[in-house]
Amino acid sequence: MKSIWNKILKVDLTARTCKTEQMPDEVYQKFLGGAGMNAYILWRECPRGTTTFDPANRLTFAPGPMQGLKQSGAAKWTAGAISPSINMNADSAATASFGIEIKEAGYDAIVVHGRSDKPVYVIVDDEKTEIKDAADLWGKNAYEAEDGIQEAEGEKFECVTIGQAGELGVRYANIQSRKKSFVGRCGLGAVMGSKMLKGIAIRGSQSVEVHDPKEVDRLNKEINKRLAELDKLNDEWLQIKRVGTALATELFAPQGNLPIKNYQLADFPSGVKNFHASNYAKQLNAKPWPCQYCTIQCHNNCEVKQGPYAYKGKGPEYESFAMVGFNTMVDDIKAVAYACELANLYSMDTISLGVVIAWAMECYEKGVITKKDTYGLDLSWGNAEAMVEIVRKIGTRADGLGYLLGEGTRIASERLGGGSEDWAVQMKGQEIAAHNWRAQYISALNYCTGVASGPNHERGNSQHIWVGHVRLPEWGIDEVENEERWSWNKTADRNAKFHDYCNVINSACHCKFMEFRGYTLTDLCNTINAATGMGWSLEDLRRCGDRITQLQKLLNIRYGWKKEHDFKYPKRFMEPVQEGPAAGKVPVGLEGAIMDYYKERGWDEEGRPTAAKLKEVGLEDFIE
Amino acid sequence: MKVFINLKEWDFPNGTKFIDVVDIIREAKKNEPMIKTIREKTGKANIILFALNGRVVQPQEYESLEIKEGDNIRWFHPYAGG
Repeated sequence: MKSIWNKILKVDLTARTCKTEQMPDEVYQKFLGGAGMNAYILWRECPRGTTTFDPANRLTFAPGPMQGLKQSGAAKWTAGAISPSINMNADSAATASFGIEIKEAGYDAIVVHGRSDKPVYVIVDDEKTEIKDAADLWGKNAYEAEDGIQEAEGEKFECVTIGQAGELGVRYANIQSRKKSFVGRCGLGAVMGSKMLKGIAIRGSQSVEVHDPKEVDRLNKEINKRLAELDKLNDEWLQIKRVGTALATELFAPQGNLPIKNYQLADFPSGVKNFHASNYAKQLNAKPWPCQYCTIQCHNNCEVKQGPYAYKGKGPEYESFAMVGFNTMVDDIKAVAYACELANLYSMDTISLGVVIAWAMECYEKGVITKKDTYGLDLSWGNAEAMVEIVRKIGTRADGLGYLLGEGTRIASERLGGGSEDWAVQMKGQEIAAHNWRAQYISALNYCTGVASGPNHERGNSQHIWVGHVRLPEWGIDEVENEERWSWNKTADRNAKFHDYCNVINSACHCKFMEFRGYTLTDLCNTINAATGMGWSLEDLRRCGDRITQLQKLLNIRYGWKKEHDFKYPKRFMEPVQEGPAAGKVPVGLEGAIMDYYKERGWDEEGRPTAAKLKEVGLEDFIE
Repeated sequence: MKVFINLKEWDFPNGTKFIDVVDIIREAKKNEPMIKTIREKTGKANIILFALNGRVVQPQEYESLEIKEGDNIRWFHPYAGG
């Protein structure tokens, strides 16, 4: 098989060793790389009983067979481990060039285990590896850590780092790269912090051999051109290249998809007005900040020159605006952008952060917490100043509320009580992202049944059938009626396909945002084949996604998943909103849909893969 | 002649123009909420975009372009999300 090295790097922080290990073709043929590799490593090396902050937990950084190709979207990579938010296997993806550099250094993954007795960072310079002291970087924010490593080692190293939130175990701490891209969900930054690992820096000079270089080149040219041209055909405020995903707030509002006031409302006119894409471009001076090879360029570099929220750096994306802005009812675009960048510096996921703060605001409104708990802050809905300040308290794990909120809404609501569990918009320990279950019932099913990273909009993005009009005609999802968003018609089938789709794309390591500008499953399949020589059909691609999903489910079971967890969904979504297209809509019948999904997946009544299903996808040797 | 639209087989008479396909898709999608929203905000009719055999078709080509047997047409919504 081509486009892989058959080699991974194992870093043992307890023994302070770095060793290479050969990996047979069969692993890649079954699981591709990326998310599939993460799952495989956990399967092989983290037995039942391994917990998130256990030194034995494996933190895997993995690109896939797409890295090294000069194709738009091929800058993706993943990290995975047992997560501190959901206490199960999880993975999350980022971009920038860290994954490309892993590949160019001659590895298909870096697997970190053990725990150092002092802060360290890891250097990988092609075959040369070293674990170095990071005492001077500990306590610094994530960007300062990257600067510090590059100052010591040279700017040509690609880095991943954590900030204070990762060091201090915030359960939704992220991992950043290049001050612009984040392994956001599931708290993997806290796993890194628990290992006393401040960062990894990598530099490579090798090119992996591909199966058919001419075909790879042809596909790259055709696809890159198509994606760029489709984006350019839109009005400026609809161009990803101009404003990234921030434009989605305005398009999602008429669909009732936005999270507003901790998911209590369906309309927030001042938010829609202030977060408009053209306002984003003007107020934040947004300029494209592309990832390597990307033609649609969704990342933005922003600058607010004056005022209390002056900053220069990463511009918020849709989820950040929706969760930190709409969900807290703060409509000051500069304050929200600033708060999101603070979260980035401390290394916190803005999705979980927005839900946690909204939960705290509702606690404050209902008198469950008072100014005595909030450091004197008036934590009323829409108070920008208080919102920004509470981000600081969480990021530094300030005694009291700041620490509690760093535990996430599940633990925080259990500890605080006062009925606050009723408005904790989380499931399995992870906060719900900015796709409203009332706007399309399939989102409810996705969150309840997701196995890759718990409830996650990115690891089963079936919401985009409606909110983004993404289609997978290769797998039979094409003609869809708008009214179907409020029915369970075909949701088991569609949801399963999108779970598998997310697994193949996160294992090949390609950016899902390309699908918004005309990237197709055919493109993905053709590129994988040209790169690897595997000669897969579109059905083989689905089977690979299915296989990875089944393995992730086996891991869920290993780490403590029970059927009842799928049915403990946030109560909030069963309370109807009064306005907009989703007024009065709640996903009644969800329990039946979950059971239908189990059947669709080849799982038994308890939600466990059957032996026949595992055999069908080639996992008969993985039965425990 | 057989033509594929989003991989689904369609039958069109010889000499069919690309604009005829565009009109069919536009008509089928005209009441979708996001299409309506964007049409209202932009005032534009050309909201759904098209590729023919992997290449983007520019709106000014719709009228002149003739489709051929076996053509592979894809349509795309003007959306970006997160």
